Amino acid sequence: MSEKKSIVFLCNCGNNISDFMELDALSQWAANREDVLLVERHNLLCSPDGRKHFQEVLQEHDAERVIIGACSPKMHEKTFQTLAEELGINISTIHMANIREQCGWVTADKKDATEKAKELIRGAIQRSGLAEDLERRTMEVNTDVLIIGGGIAGIETALCLARAGRKTYIVERDIAIGGFIIKTEEVAPNMECSPCVLAPRLSEINDSKNIEVITNAEVKSVIGFFGNFTAAIHQKARAVEDSCIGCEACFEVCPVDVESRFHHGLGTHKAIHTLFPGSVPAAAAIDKNRCRHYTDGSCIACAEICPFGSVNFEQKDREREIQVGSVVIATGFDVIDPSSNPNLGYKTMEDVYTLSEFERIASSNGPYGGDIRMKNGRSPDRIAVIHCTDVMFEKNGSPSCTPLMNMIALKVGEYVHKKIPGAEVFNVHAGMVMAGPKETAYLNKIRDKHTRLIECTDMTTVTLKQDDRIVMQGAGLEPIEVDMVVLATSMKPSEGTAALAELLHLELDENGYILPDHELLHQTGSSLDGIYIAGCAVGPCNMGTAVTRGHAAAGDILSKLVPGRHIELEIMTSVIDEKVCIGCKMCISVCPYKAVNYDEQKHICQVNEVICRGCGTCTATCPSGASKARHFTDDQIYAEIGGILHE
Amino acid sequence: MSDYKPKIIAFVCNWCSYAGADKAGGKKLVYAPNVKLIRVMCSGRVDPQFAMEAFRKGADGVMVLGCHPGDCHYRSGNIKAFNRFSIFQRMLAQFGIEKERFKLDWVGAGEGERFQITANEMTETIKRLGPLSIRGFVESEVA
Repeated sequence: MSEKKSIVFLCNCGNNISDFMELDALSQWAANREDVLLVERHNLLCSPDGRKHFQEVLQEHDAERVIIGACSPKMHEKTFQTLAEELGINISTIHMANIREQCGWVTADKKDATEKAKELIRGAIQRSGLAEDLERRTMEVNTDVLIIGGGIAGIETALCLARAGRKTYIVERDIAIGGFIIKTEEVAPNMECSPCVLAPRLSEINDSKNIEVITNAEVKSVIGFFGNFTAAIHQKARAVEDSCIGCEACFEVCPVDVESRFHHGLGTHKAIHTLFPGSVPAAAAIDKNRCRHYTDGSCIACAEICPFGSVNFEQKDREREIQVGSVVIATGFDVIDPSSNPNLGYKTMEDVYTLSEFERIASSNGPYGGDIRMKNGRSPDRIAVIHCTDVMFEKNGSPSCTPLMNMIALKVGEYVHKKIPGAEVFNVHAGMVMAGPKETAYLNKIRDKHTRLIECTDMTTVTLKQDDRIVMQGAGLEPIEVDMVVLATSMKPSEGTAALAELLHLELDENGYILPDHELLHQTGSSLDGIYIAGCAVGPCNMGTAVTRGHAAAGDILSKLVPGRHIELEIMTSVIDEKVCIGCKMCISVCPYKAVNYDEQKHICQVNEVICRGCGTCTATCPSGASKARHFTDDQIYAEIGGILHE
Repeated sequence: MSDYKPKIIAFVCNWCSYAGADKAGGKKLVYAPNVKLIRVMCSGRVDPQFAMEAFRKGADGVMVLGCHPGDCHYRSGNIKAFNRFSIFQRMLAQFGIEKERFKLDWVGAGEGERFQITANEMTETIKRLGPLSIRGFVESEVA
């Protein structure tokens, strides 16, 4: 038996415990134990009177440990720990024996319950004798935020945070922010002009002192933990200084045409270019692979004509390091390439486009100025939109986004009817599922016009053949002749998502999107504290949801990273005794949070106690006994086993 | 054997199974008083040595109960426990302990009934097996 003396509190819990066991006998038994200083009965220890009594007893007697035979520790362990802490007593002193939920309430016979209660109290006494002081630890936080990806989700997250006074960095891979939305003519279901939706946001970002936009850049590493991350960023030279206002004077003189990524290859821009007029940043960038200054040194026309002297061929790539408290991943999505299915004629037939390419064709800021036309220059009279193309690819599809793609695909009809009066649109589908009432209302509105819905019994049989026109065939379909085909290919995680996840030690879901902390309760949190997910990085969604996810992430960050506030760290972490550790790294292999590091100099493993959440899996795995789980040490658990099983 | 009262120790994770046992309590779902719980933060914390220590100190049966796969509060501790104890259970026979004396199972935080059933079934299993009589390796070590 331990030499330390315990105070044992026994709570009647009104009559919730006293009715289920012989508390008098239990009291007597405890009082007779040599390791018990005194037994205190109370009618309801968690009541105001009980709490007062609890503190008075602790003050009066210099107890080395306190056992409370009462309800589940999940109910009131924190209550009594806090009361003890108020008196300057370490929280590790408080131990609860669950004699209500796990004893009295589940045992038919009062005598059996009393015996079981003795065993549980004995276990708690034995265990508590080995308790070591627990230290509450806090850390001052950095409240700055790094947002990876400058699409609508990243933009809204940044604005939300910046308005609250937080310094925010947006790191964007492309030369300007805007993402997919800026490439869209109108957003469903209300068909708002998307550049008009984006423009005021871009100008707010431009004007905000709290937001720094780092374009043409990628995040190379993120190390640290919630409240204290260091991110390394590689920013490629654009050969144009920030003094450029995007006046486009150089576009006139640049002799090189480059296929435009912004237009998905449907149009061209010059080797010196901006993504779109009014972009943020305004500065142009030079495509070094194509610019003649770089390829053969034959041209400096842009530098000569620039009224601001902004062209700088000598500009170097920049390596930057920034300190932030949290990171938001808003890397968006890419579109599945349908060319893997030869039946769909993508890239082999003329006038077969993906939905995003069609969006560029129909856009007033697109390659044809919004004029929907075929390769031969004529307007199409009949257009087919093929839905549910996911099923045509074995691996890449994400069937969950079908209602989402249906909504976007139905917009084709709207664009066509506005621009080519009398043209017909055939939406071929395998069951038109819409996401909600607004989407269904949109479907009904569109059907009233010239858009026809045609159900195909098996989408995998859909085949396109080039004749005078394009002939579409498929199970349950009469052959349809059309001039243009739009493939509603769905979304996939944006390129680099897997690499980014690996960099940040995050998991991916079965479709390759970043796995959220909790699908329902914490959709915008990742599995790591302080790393958030917004927009389509967590899964396909429409613009509204992308923005909402950004706002949710921002709100969560604002609630946790408050200037001047310290964050409380996990108390019951694991710790490795460096004298015992043999550096086998088994702990590293089982840690779900990458909280264990290997010290190359000392050849041992070390727990970063800021990241550790205290599951103790490493301690159970450690073959040399070097790892200790605080408050759940091997010795404490052995003592509890012994206490329960033996007098 | 009718008055034989087996001793069963259950190591339960704080987030799911301990809460599931509390749920059984809240619903007053009576089960055999033989099962005593030891709380750990995660089923991944349970070292096979804990189970051996329980057998050594007189337990007739040992359970490890964790969150259902996919529900682990610490993401994957329960899976680590599953891997670890799958091997452990096979090794038990080498120590002269029937493998049925050990059970790894999942009980969710809301599953009071499941906890009740699990506790009762284990008690019945151990009653059928009778008191643990360790033979071979462990016996010589204890002696």
